[in-house]
Amino acid sequence: MTLEQTEPGMQEIKPASFMSLIATLKPVSTSRLSTFPSQLIDMLPVVVVHGGAGHIPKERSELSTSGVTSAVRAGYAVLRGGGSSMDAVVEAVTYLENNPAFNAGCGSVLNVKGDVEMDAFVMEGKTLGSGAVSAVRNIANPIQLARLVMDKTSHLCLTAEGAKQFARSMGVPEVPQESLITEYSRMRWRKNLAPDANPVECQMGKMGTVGAVAVDSQGNVACATSTGGILNKMEGRVGDTPCIGCGGYADNMVGAVSTTGHGEAIMKVVLAKHILYQMEQGQSVEAASDLGLACMKFRAAGLGGVITVDPQGHWAARFSSRQMAWAAAQKDTLHYGLYEGENFTQSIDVQH
Amino acid sequence: MAESSSPGMKREDPDRNSKMSAVVVVHGGAWAIPDQLAEASVDGVKAAACEGSSVLKRGGSALDAVEAAVRALEDNPAFNAGHGATLNADGEVELDAIIMDGRTLASGAVSSVKNIANPVSLARAVMEKTAHVMLTSRGANLFAESIGVVTVPPDTLLTEYEKKEWEKHKTYVTGVDEDFNTQWAHDTVGAVAVDRAGNVACATSTGGIRNKMVGRVGDSPVIGAGGYADNLSGAVSCTGHGESILKVTLARLILSHVERGKSVADSSQLSLQYMADRVRGAGGSIVVSPSGQWAATFTTDRMAWAAVDQDVLWYGLDPDERLREQLS
Repeated sequence: MTLEQTEPGMQEIKPASFMSLIATLKPVSTSRLSTFPSQLIDMLPVVVVHGGAGHIPKERSELSTSGVTSAVRAGYAVLRGGGSSMDAVVEAVTYLENNPAFNAGCGSVLNVKGDVEMDAFVMEGKTLGSGAVSAVRNIANPIQLARLVMDKTSHLCLTAEGAKQFARSMGVPEVPQESLITEYSRMRWRKNLAPDANPVECQMGKMGTVGAVAVDSQGNVACATSTGGILNKMEGRVGDTPCIGCGGYADNMVGAVSTTGHGEAIMKVVLAKHILYQMEQGQSVEAASDLGLACMKFRAAGLGGVITVDPQGHWAARFSSRQMAWAAAQKDTLHYGLYEGENFTQSIDVQH
Repeated sequence: MAESSSPGMKREDPDRNSKMSAVVVVHGGAWAIPDQLAEASVDGVKAAACEGSSVLKRGGSALDAVEAAVRALEDNPAFNAGHGATLNADGEVELDAIIMDGRTLASGAVSSVKNIANPVSLARAVMEKTAHVMLTSRGANLFAESIGVVTVPPDTLLTEYEKKEWEKHKTYVTGVDEDFNTQWAHDTVGAVAVDRAGNVACATSTGGIRNKMVGRVGDSPVIGAGGYADNLSGAVSCTGHGESILKVTLARLILSHVERGKSVADSSQLSLQYMADRVRGAGGSIVVSPSGQWAATFTTDRMAWAAVDQDVLWYGLDPDERLREQLS
């Protein structure tokens, strides 16, 4: 099994040596990032959001950080108000879809034809209920449509024209495509029309898929993920986001994950499920996340990021790309970061 | 639950490893196949398994073998894939398919394509000719045109049987739960194989659930649900209640057990049992390991399946049925 040399340090990996590599990975210290001593109560509720993994240019990093912190505050307010984890993740992702700085809803990247086609996914951990839409056009909040698929149909996924018809039948307003397109996304599209362009490389980090995971006070977990996909993708291209187990997964017995990064690579290793299988085997949220990202890097040559939570409220935000905008809210404290190793904290003023 | 697996030991057989024999297993859907369709279903899976096997015998890859086997099933109007697929709520045929190469984890899938006779081959083209893993709807059809895949007139894929069934159900929305307790739900087709080089592959193809909503995507084209293939553990193709298979990511679940040292048969049984317990879904799976162990397992009333393993054609329909024919 040979991999392209895409960055320094990546080697030709054969299955046997990959397995021994995995055996040597140790959990990263959890003290700063995720775990409070288990004897502390009130680890629930908790919500974590991400705004995409990659190489965010400095001038956009402010937008990314303020975007994820606003979204996580909105999700946390829902939880503190007694709302469910599903309500919280949908609220947080709706914020990010409405924020033009992120690759979801408004601000989505354009496909090769210059159109917006969006994917979204929700899942709740109690019954494994799930809803997804793929390649849907002309709606402002695909995450809400995904939730309607879950709540109002006997199906798990609707695509393209069928998804649009369903939206219409639910009274979801149709919006002009122009309202979803930003100058930034149009500029990046034009730049990547050049034959020697590398859209995957170009995208990494500048515009990210968004997502959220949460555990509510009842111990129910949920996840939500939404995206405009890969820059200049082929029409009809579906990535990891709406594929259950890839873009996200939620199971009250194990935890919840939302992923971001190179979609095709995430799909090949079914990343969200991979992480949860590791947790079932006893790995911490961090170690499991790192193992999943390593698998994605070595077996599928892709970089990305994940947010992971277990039903007890342990959480992690991990990424193999240069940065990932993320934020978490737990115990009335806001955590957030962008570059590796960052974990800023601030107290959240909660109105009771 | 019904299960048929490779004869002999369930544990890894060192002699078998060194022989590196090629195996292909196919299924034609897990559901309460009515008696009047039984013979056609069994004949169909046997023929498809032999198609796949002759590819392997010629030294072809597992990927070539699963594509050939599934094409044979798509072309056969007795099955719910390609020709003979069920109709959606608008009376149209929308097809889903996936193919995956265990050697590299490369995969290709199409969902909701129309007027394509062999979606599994289009899925393979997505894998080999694009930088993507999955294309849907109009985009998938545009891609097909761009590579010269012939679009067939809509009527070509329709059968009288399916038109009648659609009429019957137009005014009565069948709950998904009911479909698997009734006689009249058709299902998905699939194949898994391991070739002489020890590479595994899977492929799955379907027309989905009868009278499904327009644009409904089930498990078949979703990597990890309808199928998965990894040289480190094996290849799986699933069939049954699509929404349940998705919720438990059945193909990936089965292989997660194999990774932890369980046999392909035990892994399948545990996973199907979990699907029944956790989400009340029934279905079936075929699995092959890189060393040639295989299993065909189902929790529905019947599943048409066949396997070719060391010049023996195995096949079955009813639970615990395992018939054999010696091939020359």
